[in-house]
Amino acid sequence: MGAEAAFRAHGARVVAALAARFRDLDLAEDAFADTCERALAVWSDAPPRDPAAWLYAAAVRRAVDLKRRAAVRARLKPDLPPPEPDPEALLMAADRPFPDERLGLIFACCHPAIAPEARVALTLRVVCGLSVQRLARAFLVAEPAILQRITRAKRKIRDAGVPFEVPGRAAWPERLEAVLTTLEIAYAQAYQDAAGASEAAELGPEVLRLSGVLAELLPDEPEVLALAALVRFAEARRPARLDELGAMVPVSEQEPDLWLSPMIEEGARLLDRAATLRRPGPRQILAAIHGAHLSRLETGVTPWADIVELYDALLFFRRDTVTRVNRAVAAAEAQGADAGLAALETAGAPRDWLPYQAARAALCATAGRLDEARAAYTAALALDPPPAERLFLQRRLTALQM
Amino acid sequence: MKYLMLIAEPENAYEGEAGEAKLTEIVGKHMALVAELQAAGALLGGDGLQPSFTATTVRTQGGAQTVHDGPFAETKEQVGGYYLIEAADLDAALAWAKKIPVVDGGMVEVRPVAEY
Repeated sequence: MGAEAAFRAHGARVVAALAARFRDLDLAEDAFADTCERALAVWSDAPPRDPAAWLYAAAVRRAVDLKRRAAVRARLKPDLPPPEPDPEALLMAADRPFPDERLGLIFACCHPAIAPEARVALTLRVVCGLSVQRLARAFLVAEPAILQRITRAKRKIRDAGVPFEVPGRAAWPERLEAVLTTLEIAYAQAYQDAAGASEAAELGPEVLRLSGVLAELLPDEPEVLALAALVRFAEARRPARLDELGAMVPVSEQEPDLWLSPMIEEGARLLDRAATLRRPGPRQILAAIHGAHLSRLETGVTPWADIVELYDALLFFRRDTVTRVNRAVAAAEAQGADAGLAALETAGAPRDWLPYQAARAALCATAGRLDEARAAYTAALALDPPPAERLFLQRRLTALQM
Repeated sequence: MKYLMLIAEPENAYEGEAGEAKLTEIVGKHMALVAELQAAGALLGGDGLQPSFTATTVRTQGGAQTVHDGPFAETKEQVGGYYLIEAADLDAALAWAKKIPVVDGGMVEVRPVAEY
């Protein structure tokens, strides 16, 4: 493994352990960055046996040094020269295992005391090591704005004493929920770009990795397992989400041969384990809906009636517009376009919301209400859809105009 | 770490006969909380304040100081008391904050004390 790959592979663990030890994310990141620089210089001839432990041991020293210097500066005394690095001691320390604090770090970054809009950026920055530049592009926000969000959140964590600990189970309904919601928002950013062309799509693999880490660290939490399953089911379909011309392909029309079976199997294993824990939740149902679509790989048909039932169950947890609109689309397939349209009109969706107009257009077309279908496609196209969806909607509209 | 927990409540909740009964109930709960904080060695200080109509504000602007009747801002909820506590971290402080008795619509702001 090259040095850069080692930094990337172990960065989160090292930064997490440093942050937990010094309760200061900036210090942890600075010390890690300095240590990476030093590693590049000294590893060239002899890379250590355990790079993670080496990085941690060296970064702890660097952090202590940085802290001491800051304290000296604060007392307005002249700076002392840095202590000579001691290679012998470093090698000995590098053989000792260090604690895995990644989960505590995730909980700290997603603490309810941190502004919700800062949680996603902070988690991806600190836990996944995404650069501010990449985050800014993924969230379509200017770099200084993202940087300010992250800086303020880090300062709050340090100055307000947000702990880098996994909270007790009693606090999980609030705390774990905040963590899962943060990851869901991050993944939604990645998923909405079917083409995978934008920077947001790059978040997909990061959330895939992070949700996997979370599932590995909390194997008895069904909603954690379900989120990991959900992300795998969705990412498995990525190769089938566009046709050769770059237009979006709806899930029920995708070519199952293009789906990534190993990822589907991994998701299925996670969801099966979640089910054995017998504590239902919204993410388990969402993952089951994704799973039902994927079952077409074996049966050749989409089980729409089952999907409607799953949406009904999901409504028990999430009575939101997104769920209602999705349920209406499934109901149209299972019970006919008229039933679907009736459900759609009572979903309470805003008229200027793209998924509503796109769904309405498709259902009207199926119901033979062609004028309304054309009007809805036109309305959907006016709502600035992403390129792949625009192409899809445009094609449907053209077909109706012939 | 030291945390200041500022209590803000809608003051009209304590008006009238029902309000007085409410006040007696809440004060009783504060006494119990004070005992619990003391037993845990977490209490550094705390008091209730007179209602906000007793407040006077000194404002400094453009080099001049003026004295005004009333609190910082005339909002529905007003600061009515505080606790100063010692807690290991924010989660520990928030656990105490959740135990502070308040009327419906009441709030507790938890602020770390700056250490120099």
